[in-house]
Amino acid sequence: MTARQRADRRAGLAFAAPAMLALSALAAYPALWVLWLSLQQRVPIFGIARFVGLDHFVFLAGDARFWNAVRVTLVFTLASVALELTLGVAVALALQRQRSGRRLALSLLLLGWALPSVVTAKLFEWLYHPSAGLVNVVLGGHAINWLGDPRLALPGLVAADVWRTMPFVALLCYARLLTIPVEVYEAARVDGASRGATLRSITLPLLRPILLIALLFRTLDALRAFDLMFVLTGGGPANTTETLTVYAYRSLFQTLQLGFGAAIGVVVFALVMAVAWAYLRALRGAGVAA
Amino acid sequence: MIRRAGLLLALAALLGGCAEPPAGSGPITIVFKHAKILGSLDPIPGLLREFERRHPGVTVRSEPLSWTSDEQHQFYVINLDGRTPSFDVLLLDVIWVPEFAQAGWLLDLSPWVMPEELAPHFPAAVAAATWGHGVWGMPWNMNVGVLYYRSDLLAKYGMTAPRTWEALVEQAARVRAGERDPRLDGVLWQGKQYEGLVVNTLEHFWASGTSLLGDDGRVLPDPERAAAALGFMRGLVERGVSPGWVTAGDEELTRRPFGDGRAVFVRSWPYALDLFETPDSPVRGRVGIAALPGHAGGAAGAGATGGFHLAVNRRTRHPDAAIALVRFLASDYGQRAIAAPGVALYPTRAALYHDAAAVRAHPGMPRFHDLALAARPRPVTPYYLMMSTTLQPEFSAAVVGVKRPEQALAYARRRLEYMLSGLR
Repeated sequence: MTARQRADRRAGLAFAAPAMLALSALAAYPALWVLWLSLQQRVPIFGIARFVGLDHFVFLAGDARFWNAVRVTLVFTLASVALELTLGVAVALALQRQRSGRRLALSLLLLGWALPSVVTAKLFEWLYHPSAGLVNVVLGGHAINWLGDPRLALPGLVAADVWRTMPFVALLCYARLLTIPVEVYEAARVDGASRGATLRSITLPLLRPILLIALLFRTLDALRAFDLMFVLTGGGPANTTETLTVYAYRSLFQTLQLGFGAAIGVVVFALVMAVAWAYLRALRGAGVAA
Repeated sequence: MIRRAGLLLALAALLGGCAEPPAGSGPITIVFKHAKILGSLDPIPGLLREFERRHPGVTVRSEPLSWTSDEQHQFYVINLDGRTPSFDVLLLDVIWVPEFAQAGWLLDLSPWVMPEELAPHFPAAVAAATWGHGVWGMPWNMNVGVLYYRSDLLAKYGMTAPRTWEALVEQAARVRAGERDPRLDGVLWQGKQYEGLVVNTLEHFWASGTSLLGDDGRVLPDPERAAAALGFMRGLVERGVSPGWVTAGDEELTRRPFGDGRAVFVRSWPYALDLFETPDSPVRGRVGIAALPGHAGGAAGAGATGGFHLAVNRRTRHPDAAIALVRFLASDYGQRAIAAPGVALYPTRAALYHDAAAVRAHPGMPRFHDLALAARPRPVTPYYLMMSTTLQPEFSAAVVGVKRPEQALAYARRRLEYMLSGLR
């Protein structure tokens, strides 16, 4: 290493230092603190603060409510992300073909995404209302018990989440579609490619990198889903919509078991990190700068 | 009065350290944190101005919190655990009082507030405030679970308010058979997985002659009766006496259909009556109020109580001014303001329920007086919230029918025992 390179490296470190400091203060410190908390039995109301090691994790391993929350979180994530991506691509393609009123369509699309999620939740509370809700009126006036039926509550929440976040995927894909040169499609037409073949071998492969990024964002969001279920169902009925974050919240802020709640938080953190890592590898494979 | 203000200033200087102005240099400010008051009229600003007029040198700043109970609880927990002195007086849901007292977050008012001062309040409200030999708060407003019924429909079929749940089921069936209106439901109640479901279930436990916590502190002392009560609630849904959606119903979702004339009975709180009696209400003048029914072979029904208490943050820099504010708001003058027309709250002072002006504003008050006297508080224990959040999913599972009541209760009991054992 030459003297010049060494000086550059020192300067680089000096420039990166403020960002690293800020990151460690804002991200690393709280994360480590939560990890430390998860190894303790800590209940401030009763003045309890003692080290219990991995006891909470051992309890969680045999806790039916915890495994139920894991299952709900995964089902919610898989279903909502799959639907959001499929519908998002479809809407982006439709937008691209649309001749007039594109600006209006874009604004309408943004509306759902722009609403705060608690507002969305309240909106759906009335849409799903068993007797007065629009959903049941449209479906022919049957009094379907959307949020109170253990089989329907989770699908109901997935639908609300798809309504709210599909526009995000659609807009990302639409932006990518605009940058695909027209010549590529013309060449395909000259070669006699059908519409289906064009979609399969040109549009979708070109969308792939952006889809992976959308997938990453949406999966991480869905794994941490909280506000919709918190407002709409409170995790019910019978915990069929209780995600890991709702369970952590209930333990942390309602029953004030800080150590136990932190342990659930650590599990969510590990889950999100694992998924993020897997995606980032896939992204690198797809040739997107990660 | 002036001497008192001088004393307060001296105290403020003593306790406040450098953050406070030195004695004599200016007025003190105390901060009152409270839930946002729903309803067409908020009595708090008027009360605070009157308090300031009576206590020269003291300014009160009112800082409303969001109206959702969970968010208020979260705010208080984070700040009180962080030992903040940034607010002095706080409005607490009764079920949090023992919890916060146990945590050492509240100032014990017993050196200032004598038992006689609490005597005019309903006993159920006082029970929550006086947990474990202290006085942790003063009752401010009262809630009691009651049964509303359509007096016109019951009279039409020659019936009076039911004394037992079994009679209620029969009456609902007779009215619905006679009216032949498929949109008319039997009885509505709160079955969503939240605190309201625990309240409804406790009321059924009491009506069956059992309770959640035995006198000896045991959880679910009589599991068989408890299971029968929970089974009865599931039965209401299964037999169609209650519509299936009560399993997602909270106060407002159940109050509205009854208010639109689409149910014979609803279990709700006093605030609902004011809304049933508005000039444009379809059920105006056709709503009766009754005690919650008992269960055949059980006990007489009793409503659960709720409401808010006024408490003082133990870290306050101005304990005297804070205590003065609490006593003022809980006084006859302070509570008269919440019994005024347009305020959707009910006071805890029993005498106001027969006060001419209050009864003019809220004609249901004499009836609510008797029901509040017979009402019972939810278990007064620092563990209450922990118990309730553990029970909510199990009660919900029984009510929607994914678990048998015995199964749900056995699981709840095991879990509660694990949680409570970790605290000893």
